[in-house]
Amino acid sequence: MASELMLEIDAGEIADDKPLFGPEGIGLDSVDALQLVVAIEKHFKLKIGDQTQAREILHSVDSIAKAIEEAGLA
Amino acid sequence: MSDDPRRILITGANGTLGHATALYFLERDPACLVFLGVRERRDRAQVLVTEFPGRAFLCPLETMSAESWAAAMNQIGPLSVLINNAGCHDDALLANMTQAQWSGVLDVNLNAVFLGCQAALQPMMRLRGGRIVNIASLSALHPPAGQTNYAAAKAGVLALTQSLAKETARMGITVNAVCPGHIEGALPTDWSEEQIKAVRRATPMRRFARPDEIAAVVFFLASAEASYMTGTSLKLDGGLV
Repeated sequence: MASELMLEIDAGEIADDKPLFGPEGIGLDSVDALQLVVAIEKHFKLKIGDQTQAREILHSVDSIAKAIEEAGLA
Repeated sequence: MSDDPRRILITGANGTLGHATALYFLERDPACLVFLGVRERRDRAQVLVTEFPGRAFLCPLETMSAESWAAAMNQIGPLSVLINNAGCHDDALLANMTQAQWSGVLDVNLNAVFLGCQAALQPMMRLRGGRIVNIASLSALHPPAGQTNYAAAKAGVLALTQSLAKETARMGITVNAVCPGHIEGALPTDWSEEQIKAVRRATPMRRFARPDEIAAVVFFLASAEASYMTGTSLKLDGGLV
């Protein structure tokens, strides 16, 4: 994720349960979200259909991993 | 970007500028594949298909239909370059302009650009790169009387270009626009010989643009060399300011 989004932080600095968005998060924005959706579909074949679903799945690294596992795509 | 041949879609490819742009790409980038977005009129585009077999392809496209764009993307595959060139005029003074004239020009010149950009974005995001070049007009910067619809649409294209450029910059997708002045072979059909002479006289270069002069700038904006240029609009007007 750090390289895909060209974040200037190490992947190790992103705790699995840390929110990705919002003031307490790591500071991703809506463009990052769009890139994440495309990257997740490309790498894991998980299609994220609507915004509500995207908000839940993209909450943190943990929630992304959970969604991929639940879809049987891990 | 991928090493595959660049796949280029040009809308309005049967028109003067669209045809010239397609020819420019085909002649100068021997590896590229050019998809010629056409509607009913396709005679000039068909000539390119015959002259460049296996490299130029007709792509039936109703630019105001999202479904048609989706079908075009399926035909083309991973798109590297989108040139939103299709446009139309329907000039009238605002006092006399019908709502159909207003909406029709906005649809073709602005709403179709929105649909095209939206359709092209997914494949470009997957490639992590791409080039979008929007053909605006000098009318966006110097709106003449009688073109409230066209000038507003083209000014909208410039704003869309700048805004979308910010959204896609991190993904390696650049979005730029060109604003051509009058182009040989694409002058308004209702102009008299006297009007043509007067406009030519008012142009510092005392001539209209050749279509290939505009195509050359589009080619540059679509090239790897233009990698740090995005959200820009270039005025190509023979010195009119």
